[in-house]
Formats: sequence, C-alpha cells, structure tokens
Amino acid sequence: MRRRSTSYIVFTVILVLLAAFFIFPFYWLTMGITKNVSQLFQKSLLPGRPSYLGDNVSKVFAYQNGVFFNWMLNSFLYATVGAFVSVFIASLAGYAFRRYDFIGKRLLFVFIIAFAMVPGFATTLPLFMLFRDVNILDTRWAVLLPSFVNIFAVYMMVSYWNQVEDEVFDAAAIDGANELTAFWKIGLPNIIPGFITLFLLAFVSAWNNFFLPLVVINSRARMPLILGITTITDPQGFPVYNLTLTASFFTILPLLILFVSLQRYFKPQMYMR
Amino acid sequence: MAWISKKRLKETLKAYLFLAPFLAVFIGLVVYPIGVGFRLSLYGQRGARMWYVGFENYQRVFSDSMFWSAFRVPLFLLLVQVPLMLFLATMIAFLYETRKNGGPVYRFLYYLPYTIPGIVSGIVWSYIFSDSMSPLHPLLNLFGFQNVKLLTRGNVPGILLVIILWQFTGYTAFLIYSSLIAIPKEYSEAAQLDGAGMWQIAFRIKLPLLKGPLITLFIFNAIGAMQVFNEPWMLANLVVLPLNYTPAMYIYNSAFSQGRFTYASAMGIILAVITCGFSWYVLRSAGRQILGRRH
Repeated sequence: MRRRSTSYIVFTVILVLLAAFFIFPFYWLTMGITKNVSQLFQKSLLPGRPSYLGDNVSKVFAYQNGVFFNWMLNSFLYATVGAFVSVFIASLAGYAFRRYDFIGKRLLFVFIIAFAMVPGFATTLPLFMLFRDVNILDTRWAVLLPSFVNIFAVYMMVSYWNQVEDEVFDAAAIDGANELTAFWKIGLPNIIPGFITLFLLAFVSAWNNFFLPLVVINSRARMPLILGITTITDPQGFPVYNLTLTASFFTILPLLILFVSLQRYFKPQMYMR
Repeated sequence: MAWISKKRLKETLKAYLFLAPFLAVFIGLVVYPIGVGFRLSLYGQRGARMWYVGFENYQRVFSDSMFWSAFRVPLFLLLVQVPLMLFLATMIAFLYETRKNGGPVYRFLYYLPYTIPGIVSGIVWSYIFSDSMSPLHPLLNLFGFQNVKLLTRGNVPGILLVIILWQFTGYTAFLIYSSLIAIPKEYSEAAQLDGAGMWQIAFRIKLPLLKGPLITLFIFNAIGAMQVFNEPWMLANLVVLPLNYTPAMYIYNSAFSQGRFTYASAMGIILAVITCGFSWYVLRSAGRQILGRRH
C-alpha cells in the first residue's frame, strides 16, 4: 500500500471537520428532545438528565387532543397521493413525447418547460383566489390539486422514456397490444427505477412544502406536519421550545428513514446532465 | 389539410390522449392561475371592491422602495453565499476524489441536510443561535466573549448564509462529483504522465470541464436566492424582522397581513419575470438537449 502522505491526512481532517458541521444540528436536535425548557436553557451538549424524552413525546401527542396525529396523517396523504398522481401523469405525458411524432410537439415541450421555473408565489396567490371562488379553500383538495403538477417529472420522464429502445415498442406492436397495454405492461416496467426516484423526490418536496398550505389551509386539523409544528404554542400563545423541537424531530424522521433505506434511488437530479 | 398524413393525425390524437391528464392540471393549476394573477395585477383594490387601473400597480411597485430594498438579502445570498457554496462544493468534490470510491460515507453525511425541510432547518438553527439556548455561548464564554448576542437583526444575513450553506453544500458537492467522475480518465492520466500533480490536474484540466454544470448550479441557486422565504420566516419568530425582509415575505405579507391582493399579484408577476430571466439560459439548453436526442 502507498504511504499515506501528509496531504492525505490533512484532507481527512478537513473532511471529518466538515462532517461534524453537517451532523451537528442533527445531534443538537436529538439531544434537545430529551430536555425540558429549563434544561435547554442550560446550553449543554449532553442529553438531558433526567431525560424528558418520554414526557416531551407524550405532550406532543396529547397536544390539542392529538392534533399531531392529524398532521402526520395529512402529511402522508398529501405527499403520497400528490407524488403518485403527479409522477404517473408525468409518465403518460413522457410516453406521448417518446412514442409519437405529433403536431405541436416541439412547441408544447418548450411551452411546458418554460413554466418550470415560475416561482410558487406567482401561482399560489391566484390559486388562493380561485379556490376561494369554488369553495375549496381550507379543504385537503386545496393542497392536493396543485401538487398534481410536476413539470420536472415530465422533463425527466421524457429522458427516461428516451432510454427505452424502439425494439421494445415494436415487439409490443407485433404482439397486437393496444397503446394502453403497451404503455402499462411493456413500457412502464422499463422506467420503474426512474419512476421510483421521481416519486421519492416528489414525496419529499410535497412533505416539505410549507408555503402552499400556509396560504390555503386555516384549520389545524387539515394542516400537514410542516405547517402544524410552527403553530405549537402554550395557551398564552408563547412558543414551547421543547415541544416544537420534538415535533420537528418527528417531521424529519420519516424523511431520514426513507433516505437511509432507499439511498440508491435518491440520486441528485439536474435539468441538464 | 392534405399535407398532414392520416397517420400523423392519428398519432396526434393518441399523443394528446396520453397528454390529457397532465395538460388538464398544468393548464388549470399553473397556466390559468398565472393569467388570473396577471389580470388581478391590473386592478386597484380596497377591501372587496376592485376596479381596473391598467398598469398602475406596476408603476407603484417600481417606485416602491419597500419592494426593492427587499432584494438586499437575495442579493447578498447571490453575491456571497452562492459563489462561496460553489467554491466549497467544488473543493469537497475534489476531496471526494482522493477517497476510495469517492468517500461514500462523507457523501452520504454531507447530503443529509438536503433532505431536511427549510422550516425545520430554520427552527433548529434559530435555536442554535438563540440567546436562551445557543450551545455556542459556552464556547464563546470560554474565549472571553461574555453575553454576546448572536441572533440580532444585523446578524440574520450571516445566519441565513450558514443555514443555506449547511442545507445545500453537500448536495451541490454530490452533483459536482457526479460531473467529475464523468470526465474520461485518459485526460488526467495524460497529464500525470506529463508530471502534473493532483491539484494541477484538478484546477487546470478538470475545473474548466466543470464550467457547464457550475453555470447551471449558479443559476438554480440564484433562483433559490430570489425566492428565499422559509428560513427567514422561521428566524422571524426569535428576532424581529421587517415585513419586507425578502421579496417573497413582502408579497406574502402584502397579500395576507395587509389584504393588498392585487398589489401583491403585481409583485408576484415581477418576481416571476426576474426568476424566469435567470432560468432562460438553462431551460433553452435543456430543451435543446432532450428533444435533440431523437427525431
């Protein structure tokens, strides 16, 4: 083996220090949820002694008659349904771009992509007005419907479908499969890894979407976790640091579990590769 | 329409059937609302009463110093945080290359903050910098800095810098590393034969090849900087920030704290135009790349 040079050791030190920086907030959060407020105010890096973990957790669960469980279920509903519907309809759209030489193809693609970078603020405000007019403000539809549009997924689906060889579709045509069967039975299995990646990315972004529910949801029972945890206060309206931290921990726990267990699907994606 | 073959018409019909679900939600929930937002921006408003005023709102936005001073934070992020992050991420990507298999453990740990929502990052970091809970205070006391206030309004841009660097540097380094390993090995081998050292190869040969991805990353982060909302929104719980601290906060507060919907719509349209201006370069090349591949 080659001699470990000085530079190798210096690089290792830098990498370890950086790792400490990236891990520190996770560590501090994990220690924080074992403390009550006065222990938090002691500013120690060690876990709380005695531990208030059980106490914090049961207080979060009991907060406002268990509204925390509503938030959790809402988050799962918004993220799962939103991600699945948006990626599925994106796969249909991607299939159209791959398989057919249709009228207006290029123009339509450019038109769709042109909207990819429009910030949420530009659409959320008018959506608020529109949802108010059709009386779905403060319902679950108000969060779900906008999450069905995933332009990035359409873009990625076109590139996934492009990687499926013509022979695959030709074979389907010879077998006499109709278009829907060809899509469903022959095409879709070929893009499943891409489908999963996009589903996970869409799941995480729906789970983390704060601005949309902030604008369209008013009732606590319909809030997702990410919004709900910012509303935790004591009866006088003051923040309760230990409970907010504990609730934050449970907000990111599902994300961390997903990320650690399905790491190979979380490939960073960019519009241009 | 004799020049369009029957086959092409049939293909067109089939294609639009597959496109129908996407187009329905895309037009109904993105294109149409933007049209509505634009129309709203042409109206004056007092309470529930609205009347057409043409481009008056836009004129008022252009002379509204509250709106333009809201760009101070995004500009600071654009000019300081984004270049700093791209530099750090490139260095980190080069460091990955010195490890076996690109240091999968480091890559994993550095990427982890990216999975955390901005709101939770905002909560945790605002507590870490708060006067009452900061674990940094004992450290500062050790060096003789007693009772230093970290979370002040003047420090918020610096704190945002730390939070955003924490969230996105690892992710960015991962992307740059992916571009690095796509560079053919022959390039660095040839340079090695000529006697070039590791850093010489990194800066003279690899860095120029990273230009494309770095420009793309710069633009995406510039767009993110223009829209920053969640992190300052959470910091505002512990330190008083003005309603117009960032453009997105000003738009939100104008609409929902002050009820000036039509004025907020005009600002929303302007912010959208600014971000689309940034992204034009990326999207143009992205579109060219993906449709150019076939047909």
